[in-house]
Amino acid sequence: MMIDIKDFINSGFAVSTDDGDKIFHMLNESFSKEEEVTLNFQGVTLMTTAFLNAAIGQLYGNNEYSSDFLNKNITLKNVQDQDVHLFSLVVKRAKEYFADKEGFEKNSNDSIYGSN
Amino acid sequence: MKKVYIPSKITSGMQGYELLLRFQDDLKGFSDAEIQISFLYVIWFEANLVAVLGAIIEDLEWKRNDVSIVEVDNYSVINNVLYRNGFFPRHGLNIHGISGGNTQISYKMFRKSEPHLYNDYIQAELLDNSAFPMHSRRLGGEIKRNIFELFENARTHGECSYIHTCGQFYPIKKKLNITIVDTGTTIIKNVRKHLKIDLEACECIDWAMEMNNTTKEGNTPGGLGLGLLFQFIRLNQGKIQVVSSNGYWELIGGKKRKMNLDFYFSGTIANLEFNLSQDELYQFADEVVDLDNIF
Repeated sequence: MMIDIKDFINSGFAVSTDDGDKIFHMLNESFSKEEEVTLNFQGVTLMTTAFLNAAIGQLYGNNEYSSDFLNKNITLKNVQDQDVHLFSLVVKRAKEYFADKEGFEKNSNDSIYGSN
Repeated sequence: MKKVYIPSKITSGMQGYELLLRFQDDLKGFSDAEIQISFLYVIWFEANLVAVLGAIIEDLEWKRNDVSIVEVDNYSVINNVLYRNGFFPRHGLNIHGISGGNTQISYKMFRKSEPHLYNDYIQAELLDNSAFPMHSRRLGGEIKRNIFELFENARTHGECSYIHTCGQFYPIKKKLNITIVDTGTTIIKNVRKHLKIDLEACECIDWAMEMNNTTKEGNTPGGLGLGLLFQFIRLNQGKIQVVSSNGYWELIGGKKRKMNLDFYFSGTIANLEFNLSQDELYQFADEVVDLDNIF
């Protein structure tokens, strides 16, 4: 399935968390139907990490999808040169964030329930 | 009825913020009152800082005060920019035949639920404004990206009713100033709650400006927006000032300064200055990114 981001969020500015959430939910739904998704960024003239954290970063939560799965099931198309590094920053940050979060929650649980 | 006077000179130095915070502090006990804010003695009010004054007025109105702006004639003879940027008209003051160019970026209030209106605002005020100084497409893109990152940060962290914003550009100096103010939860409160440490106010802001630091605890990662802004302003040799509660933090000319103020602001002020003549390419290292294997 091909998703034109500009049409999907009704704007050439992919900047808000809310619009990122819409992409995230659409991806989740497609994966539940075992559909591969192509995200077409044609016409997206501005992008933020806030948008990408919500759209892409959330995919790493709950250990639901592996990197291999995401590489196989999401194709990124027509990303502007100046936005490419944002994807790499957001993916790296998401992996660290959820690793830290797991560690934080494990430590909190250990201190409440005692560690094994 | 209570009449209060705006100090004669409000600039975007630390003293200017302290004067505005003190002004808010003087009025903090008022509710259900008629308050007149007088410009009688004002000789200089840095245009983009009306976003701060707008947030102070929002706070007063939330306490059911009836607020009006009065005695603007003397100041308006010196400078009519507060008419041109829409701040005086927003408070019922209008004059005919305003002249003086279109270097202002309008004063606006946005609800938290209105991110798309902010898109339209930036489109109209920056992209479609023919008076905006010439600069490269790449630099313009990075500036706009950073403005949006800051706006989203205020929107998603501040839990505020409104975000106030205003700007000004200076074609000869090739500078763009933009101020974004929210009246929600301060950075100080968010950071202290997250770290569970009673850090000093200015240290809380310092922590929040570091790359990868975030107070988010849900399933959406964070910690990049302010870090990227910080890096960009340093490369651009621009300026960023943040006031939250009684914390003050600035980066000017690549030099960081932080301190605690004598008064408290019930929200967060972020004032940015972009250098439009610093027109080099902002490449992020020589990173080669393979989008087919990005995840």
